[in-house]
Amino acid sequence: MSQVLHPIEQKILRSLLEKQTATPEELAEKTQLSIDQIRRGIEWLKFKNLVQVTESEKSFVKLGTRGREALEKGLPERQLVGYLRSIPVSSCEMSQAKDYLKNEFSPAIANAKKNKWIEIYENRILLKGYHDVTPEERIIKTIASKSPDAMAADEIDDKEAFDLLKKRPDFLDFASTKRMTVNITGKGTIEAQNVGEVADDSVQRAIDVEAPAPVVFAAKSHPLADVISEVREIFVSLGFTELVGNSSQSSFWNFDALFIPQDHPAREMQDTFYIKDMSANSVATPKQVRKVSLEHKNGWHYDWRLDAARKMVLRTHTTCVTIRELADKKYDEARLFSIGRVYRNEKVSYKHLVEFNQVEGVVVGKHVTLRDLMGLQMEFYRKMGIKKAKFWPTFFPYTEPSLQSMIYNERLGKWVELFGMGIFRPEVTKPLGIKDPVLAWGGGIERIAMLRYSLDDVRELYNNRFSWLRSVPKCQ
Amino acid sequence: MPVVTLYFDRIGKLLGRKVSKEKIMSTLPFLGLDIEEEGQDHINVEYSPNRPDFSTDYGIATGLQGLLEIKLGMPTLKIKKGNHAIKADPSVGKIRPYIVAIEALDGKMDDETIRQIITMQEDLHNGIGRRRKKVSIGIHDLDRIKFPLVYKAVERTHRFVPLNSQDAMTASEILEKTETGMTYRHLLESNKKIPVIVDLAGNTISFPPIINSKLTEVTSKSKNLLIEVTASDRNTAEDALAIVAYALQNAGFKLSSVRILGPRNSAPQLQPKKMLLDPALVNGILGLDLTLPAMIRSLKKNQLDAKIKGKQILCLIPRYRADIFGPIDLVEEVALGYGIENLDYTIPEAKSAGQKSKTTIALEAVRDTMVGLGYLEVMNFGLVGKQVQYDMTKQDSSDMISVADSKSQEHQILRDMILPGLVDTLSRNIHEPYPQKIFETGIVFHRGSPVNEEVHLACASAHNDASYTEIKSVLQSLLKSGFDISCTTKNSQNPLFIEGRTADILVDGKKIGMIGELSPQVLDNFKMRVPAAGFEIKLTDLIF
Repeated sequence: MSQVLHPIEQKILRSLLEKQTATPEELAEKTQLSIDQIRRGIEWLKFKNLVQVTESEKSFVKLGTRGREALEKGLPERQLVGYLRSIPVSSCEMSQAKDYLKNEFSPAIANAKKNKWIEIYENRILLKGYHDVTPEERIIKTIASKSPDAMAADEIDDKEAFDLLKKRPDFLDFASTKRMTVNITGKGTIEAQNVGEVADDSVQRAIDVEAPAPVVFAAKSHPLADVISEVREIFVSLGFTELVGNSSQSSFWNFDALFIPQDHPAREMQDTFYIKDMSANSVATPKQVRKVSLEHKNGWHYDWRLDAARKMVLRTHTTCVTIRELADKKYDEARLFSIGRVYRNEKVSYKHLVEFNQVEGVVVGKHVTLRDLMGLQMEFYRKMGIKKAKFWPTFFPYTEPSLQSMIYNERLGKWVELFGMGIFRPEVTKPLGIKDPVLAWGGGIERIAMLRYSLDDVRELYNNRFSWLRSVPKCQ
Repeated sequence: MPVVTLYFDRIGKLLGRKVSKEKIMSTLPFLGLDIEEEGQDHINVEYSPNRPDFSTDYGIATGLQGLLEIKLGMPTLKIKKGNHAIKADPSVGKIRPYIVAIEALDGKMDDETIRQIITMQEDLHNGIGRRRKKVSIGIHDLDRIKFPLVYKAVERTHRFVPLNSQDAMTASEILEKTETGMTYRHLLESNKKIPVIVDLAGNTISFPPIINSKLTEVTSKSKNLLIEVTASDRNTAEDALAIVAYALQNAGFKLSSVRILGPRNSAPQLQPKKMLLDPALVNGILGLDLTLPAMIRSLKKNQLDAKIKGKQILCLIPRYRADIFGPIDLVEEVALGYGIENLDYTIPEAKSAGQKSKTTIALEAVRDTMVGLGYLEVMNFGLVGKQVQYDMTKQDSSDMISVADSKSQEHQILRDMILPGLVDTLSRNIHEPYPQKIFETGIVFHRGSPVNEEVHLACASAHNDASYTEIKSVLQSLLKSGFDISCTTKNSQNPLFIEGRTADILVDGKKIGMIGELSPQVLDNFKMRVPAAGFEIKLTDLIF
């Protein structure tokens, strides 16, 4: 069975059947197709070996600036002859000729000598011999006769004189054009004979189903948003209910309620973003404020100040949202989580952002244990597809005991830190009236996204490079 | 986090038993130490600031001795009663009221010991010392000092030769000309006078919390040391002194007490703390069923002393463990002694199903619909730069909310609108194929009580035929097909958009956003070469 040809291809082949060789322009005229359609069709046919394309270059010539001057006034050597004829005894001093011919003097002397039109004797130029029209002069005339069109260089017969003229600077201008000729191949001839009448466009016809199609880009959600959604789904599947809280918080909920003393280095401006000139009017109930401040005085031995607790910050973790909810609702039993942006006043680098997403989950219950916390963590990792994880002790100001989990990064072949966890300290829970133990765990989601998309630079997640967003596969 | 360098040969000697490099490396994480860098003969480890006793290799070796069961139980401080005294004058009461001190005698200061001690001193200053505000430590060559010492406040014209200088300087000059002076002078700015420690010969030995004197500088020839700690809090001063004392005892010095006289001051109490631990708390928190002896053994592996007292455990906690506040901290000590790696996981069952927030559910619907309309999701920051947010987009910045002391130009203000970020995103992708259709949802900030946070949606379309009509179709379709909301558009003005091609978006007569074709000048500011149109709406109170 012969292959399926596009109507354009069919039309081109049929015209080539009549006349074996043609230029694209000729084909366009004959088929009534546009030159672009013809060019595209030729490409397809060439690919299928049904036509052969030969490209040739053709050179065209016009008179240059000095060429046009020579047409008017004659070649320099002709001007010299004219000058000598016009003066007595047809002879002059070299210097006189030089004054007359100026820049043309040297070529005039050289060529006139070569033509045997002059002789030089003791610094005088003497006219002699016959002064016939030279081949170069003839070529100038011929080229001029075609003006303003250019003349095909291969139409000039006297190659020797043409070469001489080419050597004279600015006498000739050259331009070249590419020419394409299309020849039908043997295979093409057979195909063309099989082509019937070209189908009417309104009838559904077969198309080249094997030809490549243009690229379109699917609209989709952001890769990081996908990971956030996935994390959220896992928390929900583990029985956690989502909390939403503000990004801007009073220092009280971000730090004081979590037993982070007011003189702690983490609270300094070089680590935390304080909102300029802004304090919360009220931060918590008077009882909460009293009890929390007392805990600080007893535990950390310093003067606790309300105005420091009122200062507004961009939250440095989502724990402020959870602790506030726990303080307000006093659950006996609960599983809660929140996901959101957190902020750190850091230098942006391939591993640090000033703003990133954090997830944090808490479990409240009379009988919850550290082993439960580790188990929930492992379950979370299992659902994320992370196979190897282990735990090391660590320190957080508001949890005790505290652990950090290490997970094995298969691509880098090493253990990397992921979520941190612990049980809220009694100094955190008691002043807020939370009676039962609270397991808490969480961490940055960008780190998981980096693992998922094999990124080494966390900034890529926020660069919004369309080339990346459009190309990164939705399912990994 | 602070870093300590451990040389394997020194650690080997300090442990007192041959332990393989691999064993040391695999045990360190279980002390809460992160291995930062591995060298041929050394490693650098990071320790948590709550364990300042890990600020020297002496402290870390002590910790390893416990976990490796080379030495169990509490190391004791052996302090001989000394004859020397420091008198605290009432004049320091308002500046820096407390001083404690100890002598360390008959030791050897090789270069590495000096390095370890100086690093410890710096870490204590920055950590529990709160950048010297709460505590500062001076270590002196004891043999240069004539006791008794007086700790008192003097005028700023007081002169002496400070460390790292050849000439005498006044206190004012030190605060204005030396590096440490400039770094810490704010700690003294509320007082006219400054505190100094002066000896019997009238020599100034220290100007806390700024600098020591040249006279008492510790060198590798020093054999006997005086350690003084001045502080705004007595308890923390003792914590710091205890940590230094333990390190110097481990370094081979013999300790001798120094009497402290004067109001509110007395000789430091460096005895162990006593604390009762309820075994039910331990087993309850850890989810274990440990016997009392097993708990005691675990505690001893962390260099605490513990014995049964009735149904409880009585713990003795060495003074350098300033991180132990209460019984819950002892629970962690048991866990570490038991071995985190020996804890089996349990997965507690959930009593009820989990749930996403209403905001999340509504936002998911918005995002799905936008993707369905052919828009690609992008993500920008909420903390942005002024240039893009206001200047290049020609927006009014009078209600701008800024953060203090940002380390980066691009993260200085809280966005009040998402669209400028989208235009910036488009401008950074002008080499990518068009059409470009993008959207973003996220939080924006406005002044309120004190800050109002709202969730917005913004979208933009850029290509040769991008137009108001096109983007309005998208807006209508999103609201109608996503939430069955109808909106109207009312002629309006915003320099972001072309005049006559921009409108307010209204739902039930209330403005929820704006829409328009980007003005040529804004496009030009962002070096964009194709037209673009976009809208932004507030989702808070509209769909959740």
